[in-house]
Amino acid sequence: MNPGDRVRVERAGDTYEGVLLPSSTDDHLVVKLEGGYNVGVDRAEASVDVLEADVYDVERAQDGDGSSSEIEFDEELPTISLISTGGTIASTVDYRTGAVTAQFDAEDVLRAVPDLAGRANYRGRVVTNILSENMTPETWQELAAAVAEEIEAGADGVVVMHGTDTMQYSASALAFALETPVPVVFTGSQRSADRPSSDNVMNAVCAVETAKGDCAEVLVCMHASDDDDTCALHRGTRVRKNHTSRRDAFETVGASPLGEIDYESLEATFRGDYQRRGETDLSISSALETDVDLLKFTPGMDPAFLDVADGKAGLVLEGTGLGHVSTDLIPKITQLVEDGTTVVMTSQCLEGRVCDRVYDTGRDLLEAGVVEAEDTLPGTAMVKLMWALANAEDVEEAMGTSIAGEITRRSAPWT
Amino acid sequence: MSDSEYDYETLGLVAGLEIHQQLDTATKLFCDCPTELRDPEESTHRFTRFLHPTRSELGELDQAAVEESKVEREFEYLAYDTTCLVEADDEPPHRLDEEALETALEIAQLMDMGVVDLVQVMRKIVVDGSNTSGFQRTSLVATGGQIETEAGPVGIEDLLLEEESAQRVAETDDGVRFSLDRLGIPLVEIGTSPDIRSPEQARDAAAQIGMLLRSTGKVKRGLGTIRQDVNVSIAEGARVEIKGVQSLDDIDDIVRNEVGRQVELVAIRDELESRGGSVAEPIDVTETFADTDSGVIGGALEAGGSVMAVRLVGFDGLVGREIAPDRRLGTEFSDHAKRHGAGGIFHTDELPAYGVTEEEVAALRGAVEATDEDAVAIVAAETEVAASAIEAVAARAQGAIDGVPEETRGANEDGTTRYLRPLPGAARMYPETDVPPVEPDPGEVETPELLTEKVERYAAEFDLDAGLAEQVAYGRRMPLFESLVADGVNPTLAASTLESTVTELRRDDVPVENLTDRHFEEVLGMVTDGDLPNEGVTDLLTVLAGEPAQSAADAAEAAGLGAAGDDEVREVVLEVVERNGPQVEEEGMQAFSGLMGECMGALRGKADGDLVSQLLREEIQKRA
Repeated sequence: MNPGDRVRVERAGDTYEGVLLPSSTDDHLVVKLEGGYNVGVDRAEASVDVLEADVYDVERAQDGDGSSSEIEFDEELPTISLISTGGTIASTVDYRTGAVTAQFDAEDVLRAVPDLAGRANYRGRVVTNILSENMTPETWQELAAAVAEEIEAGADGVVVMHGTDTMQYSASALAFALETPVPVVFTGSQRSADRPSSDNVMNAVCAVETAKGDCAEVLVCMHASDDDDTCALHRGTRVRKNHTSRRDAFETVGASPLGEIDYESLEATFRGDYQRRGETDLSISSALETDVDLLKFTPGMDPAFLDVADGKAGLVLEGTGLGHVSTDLIPKITQLVEDGTTVVMTSQCLEGRVCDRVYDTGRDLLEAGVVEAEDTLPGTAMVKLMWALANAEDVEEAMGTSIAGEITRRSAPWT
Repeated sequence: MSDSEYDYETLGLVAGLEIHQQLDTATKLFCDCPTELRDPEESTHRFTRFLHPTRSELGELDQAAVEESKVEREFEYLAYDTTCLVEADDEPPHRLDEEALETALEIAQLMDMGVVDLVQVMRKIVVDGSNTSGFQRTSLVATGGQIETEAGPVGIEDLLLEEESAQRVAETDDGVRFSLDRLGIPLVEIGTSPDIRSPEQARDAAAQIGMLLRSTGKVKRGLGTIRQDVNVSIAEGARVEIKGVQSLDDIDDIVRNEVGRQVELVAIRDELESRGGSVAEPIDVTETFADTDSGVIGGALEAGGSVMAVRLVGFDGLVGREIAPDRRLGTEFSDHAKRHGAGGIFHTDELPAYGVTEEEVAALRGAVEATDEDAVAIVAAETEVAASAIEAVAARAQGAIDGVPEETRGANEDGTTRYLRPLPGAARMYPETDVPPVEPDPGEVETPELLTEKVERYAAEFDLDAGLAEQVAYGRRMPLFESLVADGVNPTLAASTLESTVTELRRDDVPVENLTDRHFEEVLGMVTDGDLPNEGVTDLLTVLAGEPAQSAADAAEAAGLGAAGDDEVREVVLEVVERNGPQVEEEGMQAFSGLMGECMGALRGKADGDLVSQLLREEIQKRA
């Protein structure tokens, strides 16, 4: 008896006939009945007859239909590289664990999102196939290298399909690592691709159209609102996932998004200045000092958390308000800096600039050698510190200077 | 169509029912929102979405979903302060509502069904916009039951617990507008085995299932809260699923008409077979109608559209043939064309007409090389729409050669049906992984008392007369009646108030729909506590129906309806007796009934009749 067999299960006078499916529990057999319903039957109480073996190839069905799509080349169309890293935009359900997992390569994306056809010639590439919470700084480096190779190989734009949970970190990493002459557009989906209402179709279509466009920056392209009508184009270093489940979870913090793209007209509009296509040559500096962590300060926090940072190359603090931690922690911070750890201050307010010159605690922190990251988002500051420690001559100066749009010089009110 | 027209046994009628009943739970099936219907005007915000069909876990695409998705549409949703992100498909569903599952288990018990060991919530793909997610969450709770009908037992195949869809509010320029208030209300679906052999038995089985459902006291009542689907086939026909029969009384007509439709379609098939019927490739005949006076065709052409035609070989006279009251084979073709966005079709069995001239018909026949034995169907519309619509017409015509197509149809108000979509298959189902499977415990569920049993008990235990007992047991306020009686309200008063009084008030145009359980509880509670005489109930309910926000006590006081004290009553009685002093002395007790009326009038429902009568007797006796 194996998944895919047609079976008849008898249990206390009730009979269930259908296809045996992989079960998520050991206690129950899961049978897909003729009408399509799945029911669980107590394994210990059930007697099973296999009516026909291997009616379905369950594994293969879940991997897609197994055929490879023939993509024709059209000289009139630009070439867009689709880089897949896993994530819900091209995920399917794993019926063993019951969880949504990423199982597609870039060509499967074309099959999953037929609306992408005819918009570009596509180059498919799988950098990794993991959920975004399992990514590491090494993943960002592989991704940066892959994007650079794609651009060198002639891609007119790159779309990175990415899980939404840590998209903002990867986008920041690429923004620091790459000088790009073409758009590099991150997209994903908040509602998994196995549902008809998934936001993957509109996000992917808008991302491809943005990648064909003129804004040669690292962007995040996701729903601008709850409607399937507009995608927002966020700068990779200023964006944050601000909702667990809504389609419009991604927001540019402290400002309106850099631009928007209309789903119907597919026209992009931008606010303010951006780097145009072809303005710069491709260069990559993807070295990272990965021995850096981000620590959120909370009232009454055990000072021992700072002991973990002993000997680290860098530590980003997410302080309160203008950039504070408890006075009790300052001696330890002083010691960390003296031992060579770069300690950077950001704020858990998320909006607004750190300023440690206003209150005594702040002045003591500056005295201890803490570096202010201006209005850089905490997660972005962590990625940036990894990059700066590996690439900048003067790390402190780099942390106070906008390298990829992560710092806003003027705090102009926007709402 | 009279009943005697068909011998259902010979025709091999096989029918089954699917009954959908909303449950009256506190919260929705997968979120904590109330199960409350709203007026679209109360909507607080709206959003728009598109849907795309997806594959099942076995890698298959559902036919019905694919056809639905060919119609590119935008869906607009109205949200309320009583809906949340779950209905908006912006948050994963919460766990399956326990109250709903418990009610489903009670129903399973009433129908003698076996409950599954593990309830797995499924996603049933529905991309017509009625579910924001693009699927309906549904689960199989129990199988293998049985109910009794006069013509014999009918098997119950399955009991499903699922979420209600969003209510379609309006067609918009770009698609359809839905209201989210109804989405997610728990719904049970009961499917019978195909054991039903006559229209009457179908109706009988539906009535029986309805009675069992209402016995739980936990189902919603009123228009739209119960819907019946009927599956019908005859031996030479095919399985046809008819959706959305609103009234129990329509079920037998629907079955009769569907049998008639299948009989006619079989006859058409036989006729086509003898004529060698076939369907040609559709072609563009725009040129033929270049100078037409027909408003419909001319309008389409002026807008840059086209006219497409299909030659239906051997169909002459059959397209116009009636297959159900007022519906022809051509109406079926037209239903299919409409599904693809066209306004309808014209066919040669009805032409010349609608501004199409005899010359144009001749030219049309010429253009498609049709003979006199053939029919021609045309569609005039936007070029792309016309092309896909005529293909749909051709496909349906091909179906007529084969006989009766399997399909899903919608019930019309007149007892006929219209084409909706192909029959859905198993491929539209895949697991809802956001909701963990549930192990139900049928052992903990009590079997509800049947309404038929309630009628007998009410009569025996509460001494209600048979008619009133049945009225209140089958009435929508049965659970309220039971809780009132449990609270000490006199059963006859409770029953007559909830049934007769409410009916009378409704006849008097009192807005009784404003009266909630609270109003009845308070008013009858006042009677039980001696704060309101029986005679004041009607007046107080009338006041509360007009001002539902008031409490019964406040309303009674404002309207002067509270019970008058013994002293006040004696005062009024005394006044009446004294005013009629001579009459009392002369007639003695003979004057009682006249004076009783006068006293009650003066007290305007504030006093109990027994008390007034007692005091009046005393006063008359003193003087006689």
